[in-house]
Amino acid sequence: MVLGLGVFGLLASIVYPVLRYLKPLGAGGQSDPVKLTKEEAAKLDREHSVVIRGGFGRVLIFEDGNQNLKALDARCTHEGCTVQFVPGDANIVCACHNGRFDLDGRNIAGPPPRPLAQHTVVREADGTIVVAPGRKATQV
Amino acid sequence: MNTVKEARTGIFGWIDRRYGIAPLVEYMRHKEVPVGAHSMVWYYLGGITLFFFSVQVVTGTLLLAYYEAGENTSYESIRFITTKVPFGWLVRSMHCWSAHLMIISLVIHMFSTMMLKAYRPPRELTWLSGFVLLSMALGFGFSGYLLPWNELSFFATVVGTDSMKAVPVVGGWLLQVLRGGGDVTIHTLYRFFALHVVVLPLLIVGIVSFHLVLIQRQGMAKPVAHEPTRRGLRFFPDFMLRDVLLWLVCLIVLASLAVFVPYGLGIPGFEWELGKKANALAPAYPGIKPEWYFLWIYQLLKEFPAHLFGLEGPEAAVGLVSVLMGLWAAMPWLDRKAQREERSPAFTDIGCAALLFLGDLTLKAWDIGGGGVHGAHVDAVASARMTAYWSLGLCFVSLLFRGFVLRQRFFVFTFCTALQIALHGLLGLHYLVAAAIALAVLPIAWYLDARRTPVAPAGEGHA
Repeated sequence: MVLGLGVFGLLASIVYPVLRYLKPLGAGGQSDPVKLTKEEAAKLDREHSVVIRGGFGRVLIFEDGNQNLKALDARCTHEGCTVQFVPGDANIVCACHNGRFDLDGRNIAGPPPRPLAQHTVVREADGTIVVAPGRKATQV
Repeated sequence: MNTVKEARTGIFGWIDRRYGIAPLVEYMRHKEVPVGAHSMVWYYLGGITLFFFSVQVVTGTLLLAYYEAGENTSYESIRFITTKVPFGWLVRSMHCWSAHLMIISLVIHMFSTMMLKAYRPPRELTWLSGFVLLSMALGFGFSGYLLPWNELSFFATVVGTDSMKAVPVVGGWLLQVLRGGGDVTIHTLYRFFALHVVVLPLLIVGIVSFHLVLIQRQGMAKPVAHEPTRRGLRFFPDFMLRDVLLWLVCLIVLASLAVFVPYGLGIPGFEWELGKKANALAPAYPGIKPEWYFLWIYQLLKEFPAHLFGLEGPEAAVGLVSVLMGLWAAMPWLDRKAQREERSPAFTDIGCAALLFLGDLTLKAWDIGGGGVHGAHVDAVASARMTAYWSLGLCFVSLLFRGFVLRQRFFVFTFCTALQIALHGLLGLHYLVAAAIALAVLPIAWYLDARRTPVAPAGEGHA
């Protein structure tokens, strides 16, 4: 019994530091607002959508049919592929497994189990576009 | 024994006096491979797999001479290897081809072991270590796939690692550890690189050695109810020389493929053109597919609805795959008849049904008949129908072969799998609804089969 506990303690003292070492630092991510660079803003103007990387993950920013800016988590809720905005279809599409979302991020077809998380996006007076993490997802 | 005594001079004698290897050599002299009515072909598959693994080690080491893991170097170094380094394209092509050929020979080896019931006592641990080796080979494929850091490998890794979160309790932690963060980044590549070139090779060498020691100790398995027609074939040198000859043939085939088809077959899951560099912010492109041996899981993920029995679709799909793999690993303990050295046609049929199930999902993943294998907009109904035609056609041919050539009489599992394919592909029922109906029909079909053949005639049916 004592020997067993000793062996367990020895193994735990080796395994635990290794596991802690492997767990990445700041795994929770940062939640500071992100400003679009000039290139990203230009791409948004040109293609009506752009994907940027914020501290809170990949974010899809696009203009809907009414020229309103919207921001959604760009990671498909099925298996995490980057989704894309298809202006003609008025849909957000994930090509990996044919998942489809509407422009509010609601999952409407295919295997995605949840809506895309919504983020807050604003165009400031000087034209700068700022994205902040938000959790206004709509359940289907 | 005289020969051994006589040989106790020279180098052999020098080693024997120090390490006492004479009994081991004597043991190997008497080792035999079973000969009988069954085909000998299946006994060579383990050796062929080992040969392709050796090619992997050699070509992988050569690739390491130029490969540099890093955000700005991984993709660039692979491009450098294939375009600038003399014969670099050949080394990479041989590495990729031998990886695929190794998986192919491994899968055939596993199914032939299953069909011959070679897993039965006393070889349970040989089966189990072989199953672990298959899992590790898939791990090699998965971790190596990311190393070129191109678009295809990036999204394949995103999808593959994301499945980890479906693991109960530790899924989230596992995902973080595997990716080195919340998302697939260059830190993921560093971890996969370490796995691919250090961790997995060390582990696999240990387990391969264990697997080989078991085979050498217990010998090759005989088929159930084996009746030898003459004495076995001597392992050394007769079988070994045949093995080496076959390895030479494999080398010629591998070299020919690497030279004449250097970037694979050009179909999703079987091509390794470098393509574009990975960009997490670019959308996944239509028709993106993982390696061919993961296609069945990829397709299964598509077949599951968003939610099922309170679970999210991917969780349910990964759960089902885990259960199926667990049952497969536990085969030696499930097959009670084989344990008693009796024929177990139900398990032979399970193996055939498994092939049909995997083949059907793989064909469907290629979207055949739905707009082509590279099609962006796939007609899912047309694809399901075309897949059903192919799967049922191949199933019919295999049933003819099994019935008339192998004289098998038990087809219950194959019938139910074919029924599921027909209900889904031809009648348009949802994949899981069709599967539920087929599962409900299974006990009825089994009962009717048992009534039809209350006692199997002696010698009928294959092991």
